[in-house]
Amino acid sequence: MSSARAENAASDANDSYLAGVKAEIRADADAARMRAPLPRKEAPPARSAERLSHDGTIDRARLDYSIAELTGDHYTAFVDAAFRALLKRPPDEPGLDAQIRLLAAGAPKAEVLGNLRYSPEGRAIGTRVRGLLPRYALAKLTRVPVVGFGLNWLIAFAGLPLMLRHQRAADTRNAAQFLDAQAHAGRIADDVRGTNARVDGVRGELGEASARLAQLTASFDERVGTLDARVGETESRLGDVPSLRHYVHAVNHWLVSLQAAIDGIEGASDANRAHADALIAAVHDASEVAAARAARQSAWIAALRDRIGARARVVELGSGDGSFAAALAGLGADVAGFESNGVLARRARERGLNVAAGDPMAALARCEDRSLDAVAVSGPPAGDGLATLLAEAARALKPGGWLLIAAGEPKRLADLANGRVAMLDRPIASALLGAAGFAVDTAFGGPDAVLARRA
Amino acid sequence: MKAALLLPVFASRDAIGADVLGMLDCLTARGIETRIFCDGRDDVATPTHPVSELLRFAGGPDDLIVYHYSIGWPEAIEILRKARGFRVVRYHNITPPAFFEGISPLHVDTCSRGRAEIPVVASLGCELYLADSSFNGGELVADGAPRDSVQVLPPFHRVEELLDREADLALLDELGDGTFNFLMVGRVAPNKGHLDLVDAFATYVDRFGDDARLVLIGKTDVHLRAYEMAIHERIAQHRLGHRARWLLVASEAELKAAYLASHVLMLLSRHEGFCVPLVEAMAFKLPIVARACAAVPETIGDAGIVWPDADPLLFAASANRVLHDRELQWRLQERGAARYRAEFAPARLQERFVALLGLAR
Repeated sequence: MSSARAENAASDANDSYLAGVKAEIRADADAARMRAPLPRKEAPPARSAERLSHDGTIDRARLDYSIAELTGDHYTAFVDAAFRALLKRPPDEPGLDAQIRLLAAGAPKAEVLGNLRYSPEGRAIGTRVRGLLPRYALAKLTRVPVVGFGLNWLIAFAGLPLMLRHQRAADTRNAAQFLDAQAHAGRIADDVRGTNARVDGVRGELGEASARLAQLTASFDERVGTLDARVGETESRLGDVPSLRHYVHAVNHWLVSLQAAIDGIEGASDANRAHADALIAAVHDASEVAAARAARQSAWIAALRDRIGARARVVELGSGDGSFAAALAGLGADVAGFESNGVLARRARERGLNVAAGDPMAALARCEDRSLDAVAVSGPPAGDGLATLLAEAARALKPGGWLLIAAGEPKRLADLANGRVAMLDRPIASALLGAAGFAVDTAFGGPDAVLARRA
Repeated sequence: MKAALLLPVFASRDAIGADVLGMLDCLTARGIETRIFCDGRDDVATPTHPVSELLRFAGGPDDLIVYHYSIGWPEAIEILRKARGFRVVRYHNITPPAFFEGISPLHVDTCSRGRAEIPVVASLGCELYLADSSFNGGELVADGAPRDSVQVLPPFHRVEELLDREADLALLDELGDGTFNFLMVGRVAPNKGHLDLVDAFATYVDRFGDDARLVLIGKTDVHLRAYEMAIHERIAQHRLGHRARWLLVASEAELKAAYLASHVLMLLSRHEGFCVPLVEAMAFKLPIVARACAAVPETIGDAGIVWPDADPLLFAASANRVLHDRELQWRLQERGAARYRAEFAPARLQERFVALLGLAR
């Protein structure tokens, strides 16, 4: 739609533009009508052409002429006029050629007129030329051998007085024309002088115009110079662009290198972490350690069996390979375990247990308030970490819910790797739990663990 | 389905021949067996067939007949009456006989008989009347053709072939001598307004400039010798003999050279049913100055300067403006080229021709 509108708008603009141009053209035409024609390269038109062809037609209706009318012109103009008057058409090339040859051979014009008038075509048209017939006949007679020669002599003798009179008249006419020509030449000389004066004036104006043009040229050159200078400045500024581009490329290269270094560091860290997890898992799997763990967990399960009901919601932090979670599930509890060691967490999941790899403390922080029936912690963090654990457990446990904290296994290397406290100090733990809102179940005397109830 | 293209005389180099060949290509390309039927032929390589065989070939109810109507031809009317299929009358217009009065009795008679057939053809009840222009369509409707069955389709042409052809270098050199060339393309016939054109050209020379040449391209007709002589005479009266360049039988290479070397197309025709040279000028980006008569204004659209007046000064002033106003030149060239692409490009004509046949069915 928008393109159609644009096209219509362009068309309207074009129409109005053309309308404006046409108005100007009409004004140009009117102005041209008022001025004299420009000089032509061509020779001026022949007189006969002007007379006969003003309207480009032949006067077909006129069928009566005098000889004088038709013999006023000379040479081709005469033949052309004769054709138009007597045959009512312009001369064709062979016809024109034949009559011109006759004239060139000294034939009188009457003979040419007669040839046309009394030709079959001329007879069919029937144009009347007064006095033509006797003259034509006489002209033809002069062509008869011997008789024609004598006749020509007679005519010449008879015409001598007339010829002399014509000669004197011609002399007078020539003298008059000479005077006219002199006068005309004088006028032409005046015109030439006037024209020269105008030319001088125009030359002066041209000089002024040249001077103005020179000024304009100088001004133009100056502006071009200014423009060149600005272009130069712009080009020099543009010249900085390649170096800037170089800098950008360098920074980009540096950033890519930095990213690679960070990736390398993170890769090394991940490798280290994986290595540590593998070490802990190895300790975890050691037969003596596993046997001790199983013994401890049996005691814990025995203690919890009577304390938590079926379908109790239990969160275990530090699930290891999921052995305790599996035992809790065996009690009918809904257990979610969290293990920071990726190797052990994977093993637990492979056993079909709900154990996720990640930070156990962060997992506890995401539990709803008073939503859990029990929290089991294996290897609690030290210092502030322990305080945080107790606070979060108190928040997440239902009132009366159970908190089991195991000191963890005596795995020195793993503890060193994780920075954990390996052993629980029972008096201190009891004091801490009490301060955190828990009541220690003194009946529970499991090894390396304490069981407390949320108030 | 079979298709028959019917016309009295088939000549590949005239406008009607080009239209017939365009239709032949269009229909054949769509898998329709198509033949040309005519009484006479001239300089064509394409096979043609006798008119007497037309109804046997394409007289059935599923067939198509396209009659190219540009002259009186009772035989064609009889064929259209007998045909049982889809009948199309392609109307190219017939010059009014008044233009030939006093010049050619033969043309007066031929054109009179041709125009006398318009009401007969219009009342045949053909399924489609296909006019070259709205002007031609209007004539059919005025003579009784049902308005709903009259459609307009510009004629197929050979402009693309002309654009692809090599120009005649000798003529190109001759015309490219720095003189302004005024071009007129069209047969030497009284309706083409050559006398007015010579007057306008002489007016330009006398009032606006001296270095100009009139290039006249068009076939002559022995029966129109008087008109041709009148043009020569008018040129002589204006003392323009050495400025007029006649190319009576121009080859396509010469025609292309003339379009390339000319500065303005001057068309002062008094009657045109369409005028293919206008389309050629648009394709060659040649500015147009023309008289607004018959189908000329609708063919040019906004791609030229058109005057309804007969004032030679107006045409001379228009040419002068076109020759010296670069912006006007550019606008006319661009509008002409755009109009050619939008209205007269062969693909556009084929698309419309097929659509019209489909719609009509």
